Amino acid sequence: MNKIREFINYGDLRKFRFWLQLFFFIIFIYGGYMAIDLGRNLPIFSCGYARETGGNCYFLGVQHQLARPWSRLFSYASIGVLTGFLTFLLWFVVFNKAWCGYACPLGTIQDWITSFRKFLKIPYSTYTRPQYQFLKKIKYVFLFIVIIFPLMLGLGLLDGEWRGAFCKMCPGRLITPLFVGDYSQWTLDFSTGTALFLTAFGMGFTVVFFVGSFIKKRFFCFFCPMSAMHYIFSDWALLRLKKDGDKCTKCGDCYNVCDMQIKDIADDVKSKNILRDDCIFCMKCVAACPEEDALHVDIFNIKVFTSTKGGFAKRMNINNKQETKK
Amino acid sequence: MVDFIKRDKNDIFGKKILGFLFKNQKFLLCLRVLVTFLFFYAIFLGFSDNSKGNLFTSALFWGIFWSFFMVTTLPTFGRVFCSICPHGFLGKYISKIGLKKSMPRWMQNRFLGLFLLVLGWWGVYYVFPGVYRTPFGTAMLFLVMTLLSLVIYFLYRDMSYCKYICPIGTVTRAFSKLSFTRLGTYKSACSECKTFDCATACPYNLKPFKFDKKNSMEDCTLCMECTTACESVNFKFKKPSFSLFEKFKPQKAEVWAYILILASIPIAMAFHHGIGRSKVAKDMIWYKTAEIFKPLLGNSLDSVGLFAYLYAMLFTIFAATIGMYIASKILKKPFKELFYNLGYSYAPLFIFASLGHALSGFFTRGYEKIVEGFAWAFGLSVDVAPLAKRGDDWLMIFSAFKWLAIIWAVMILYKRMKLLKADKMRKIVAFPFAALLIIFYFGVNEYREYIIDTYGRADNGMHSNRGAGHTRHSRAKGRQGYSKSTLAYAKPNDTLFFTDRNPAVGGRGGMMGMMRANRDSNAIPKRSFWLVTKKLDKPKCVKNIDGKFYILNVNGELVKSKIKSKKGCTSITFEVPKNGYYTIYYIRDLDKIVNVAKYEYKRFNHGSNEEFSKDKITPKTIKKATVDITRLRDGEDSFYYSLHAGDMLRFKVQKDGKALQGARVTLKTQFGWQKSVRTDKSGIAKFKLIQDYNPKWEKFNKRFREKFLVTAVYKDKSDKYKVSYTAVYRPSREAYQSYAYALVISIILLIILSLGIFIYRYKVQKPFKEVTFDE
Repeated sequence: MNKIREFINYGDLRKFRFWLQLFFFIIFIYGGYMAIDLGRNLPIFSCGYARETGGNCYFLGVQHQLARPWSRLFSYASIGVLTGFLTFLLWFVVFNKAWCGYACPLGTIQDWITSFRKFLKIPYSTYTRPQYQFLKKIKYVFLFIVIIFPLMLGLGLLDGEWRGAFCKMCPGRLITPLFVGDYSQWTLDFSTGTALFLTAFGMGFTVVFFVGSFIKKRFFCFFCPMSAMHYIFSDWALLRLKKDGDKCTKCGDCYNVCDMQIKDIADDVKSKNILRDDCIFCMKCVAACPEEDALHVDIFNIKVFTSTKGGFAKRMNINNKQETKK
Repeated sequence: MVDFIKRDKNDIFGKKILGFLFKNQKFLLCLRVLVTFLFFYAIFLGFSDNSKGNLFTSALFWGIFWSFFMVTTLPTFGRVFCSICPHGFLGKYISKIGLKKSMPRWMQNRFLGLFLLVLGWWGVYYVFPGVYRTPFGTAMLFLVMTLLSLVIYFLYRDMSYCKYICPIGTVTRAFSKLSFTRLGTYKSACSECKTFDCATACPYNLKPFKFDKKNSMEDCTLCMECTTACESVNFKFKKPSFSLFEKFKPQKAEVWAYILILASIPIAMAFHHGIGRSKVAKDMIWYKTAEIFKPLLGNSLDSVGLFAYLYAMLFTIFAATIGMYIASKILKKPFKELFYNLGYSYAPLFIFASLGHALSGFFTRGYEKIVEGFAWAFGLSVDVAPLAKRGDDWLMIFSAFKWLAIIWAVMILYKRMKLLKADKMRKIVAFPFAALLIIFYFGVNEYREYIIDTYGRADNGMHSNRGAGHTRHSRAKGRQGYSKSTLAYAKPNDTLFFTDRNPAVGGRGGMMGMMRANRDSNAIPKRSFWLVTKKLDKPKCVKNIDGKFYILNVNGELVKSKIKSKKGCTSITFEVPKNGYYTIYYIRDLDKIVNVAKYEYKRFNHGSNEEFSKDKITPKTIKKATVDITRLRDGEDSFYYSLHAGDMLRFKVQKDGKALQGARVTLKTQFGWQKSVRTDKSGIAKFKLIQDYNPKWEKFNKRFREKFLVTAVYKDKSDKYKVSYTAVYRPSREAYQSYAYALVISIILLIILSLGIFIYRYKVQKPFKEVTFDE
């Protein structure tokens, strides 16, 4: 048991993550070729517009379901909304936000763009605190569009063109199908003003996605309504990111490696549950933490991955002997 | 006693408007006087005018106070209802001059009031419906209760009537546990208090300084007497139903109030009014039991109501006790302790569901009733329209309240379960049993919906069918409306064809109407098609049906159909259970000329998750059709497929099963474009669907269904054959979607953004600053 633990804690997270992301990317983008279908309620942006997807993003379905006329929506016939939601929750509860950091194809694409940027040796940008505080609210606006717009549609307040409004604005719809050679989403729809606005927004957002994720790590995740949705239910998840404030020295290593610029990870020494709404659960902070057990990932209160001095030293290529000499 | 205190942020007394409403004694006095006046005035009017013209009595009692005001205030601010109750208001003064005896032991029983409500009111309500509904009955009830209360107030001290005898005293006490307000005191000020002014001021002989610690406001009716005695008393906003999340001493009567009220109102209503008004009401157990006992009970009482009520009681109590009993065995706890501790989780079930009902009732009927009732009472004549019509879509939000109730109840149960000391695994196993009543309530709701969805309401049901279907304006507009129907006699040489919309009905109706009729989710859907002739965009119903209809299902088998004729318009209706193409034939074999009309209807319901297979979409043919035309399926590879402008269509004409060469095939679109070709050796004619739907940009509808008609005519030595095929196609995506613009815009944006960032970075980099740390 201890050996396994040591193996995990001393492991190379970066490699592990890369291969896992690749694995999930193949499953979710090319799963259709392998007859994989994980249903329509996945908590990631595995877009249903892509032909060979191995399972659909929950938002596609939920927008569709909630857009029913209210007389149907609030009736016995709409029990599907509930089961769909519960399925989503079941998926989510297993991995918590690690869906974002490890499985989401759109997130993986951003990580690859980041590696490309690194390869070109171009520095990345960060937000200032006030920018950060302002921008992080945007994902809730998108979540509002995902949940409330369909309801308004069902009530007849919105035109049918707003059906699946968020999907039309989402870069995932344009980007993920590209990987199976389908560029049919890359169009502007001139049929109505609304459609034009939505598709143009999606188009623009996609461009911003590429440019943004090139200079800023995980640019899109900052605005992702799925991330907001995750956060609402993250208290029920099995996988948890925890922090032992007493052991924290506030060195800031975790903050420096954080793609999402979450300051609490370094500053907050009070709360045990350190998962924040922007977190993508990449666990880089745990790997980067030099203190024994200060940050750890738990399932049912069992530490599965925890920060260790040795692991840190190994990952940083610090030779033990050298350290003792100093 | 404290004269001044700095109030917390969440203290209602510290707020301007709310503080005035809840604390200002002059305002409260005025309000109570006003309510008392209205109360007695309504009773007076009830006696003086027992006709239907008396709108006031029932509007005041049943419109405002009972249900609407009570259920809206109880789960929010608490017992505001009691605070303005005329009985308590008068009682306070009467007690002061009264005998101040202590109530006898046997009367100090909260179940007295509860049984008065459950049997005296709800029992009578179900068994003798309509007794209390008349103004006289209402007035009599309240007069009797008033006199009784005044006598008891006079005899006994400490407002014992409110605590024990008042039918809704225990109920309001129980449900106010869900509120988000708490009357309490500032601990810091009270720790040094030696005068206890709040306790002496309290007409109920309660101790407000103990409320917070006890986590219970006991019998407090928010009369606010204590607040004038001492400033330390506060009235705070808390989390909704916060008090149920902590420990407190359970009251047996409260838990029973939840259970009995749940049985008497939502459950019994679902039995008697919900399911009881469906078409299968007579198959229900209470109806059958009532049939047995009817000879014994006679006709003077509603025996169905009686048994519906009794069964509701029985099932509810059974679900509650059995569930809790099993849970107690699993948890190894005494039954009583568990039952009365966890029983508090039943609280939201009734009150939230009832809140939804009361609110929607207020918008549909209550508001109108109240305004007109008040106007009538004071000699005015006002006629207002209700705020909403029954069946308005937005009212459906109120039916979501019962789901909220269930979720809330489960949550409270979870929190109260947490307070118990027991093994975790045992708790998990015991949870569903403890939640049995909640599950039962959920089940009854589902069952009622299911019954009404499946079997429908009985024709004489009071509730009209909820809501017309949702109308999609954009579609209705886009469709080219049929002009007024006229019938036509189909001459032998006329082209006959099918349409999926009733020509007799204007723009809407037709298919939409069908969809609405088939709202029932379990029934097999049906479709109707009309046989028409003459022009494609203005078809006329065929008057003379002298041929025969044939319907082929997805597998190419002949299926049953129903021919209907309404106002001379003949239609054919059949069931469409599966996804795929259904083929409709009309074959008329006159002398010298054979007419065949063919239509292929594709049913696709993606909710049914049916596997796509080529067999379901292959064109079907029938031997009876001596000539036949089929549209070959090129590139049709899913149920989603539909025809678009720009598609190349291939039609195959056959005679007696063999390819027919040289038949003249004509394709004609709705807007008049047409083209004729002759079939080649293999009997195939090719057409490209052209785009001739070109409205103005702002009127363009990308879902526009343009009709086209294909006719094949062939003459041999003796006979002439004419076969038609109609279908619809949509504008091609290229007509409204542009790759070019998208690319141009994205490239421009890409350049601008990249340049912008480059320039920004370049500028920021220039002035080099040494990084210094602030020590």
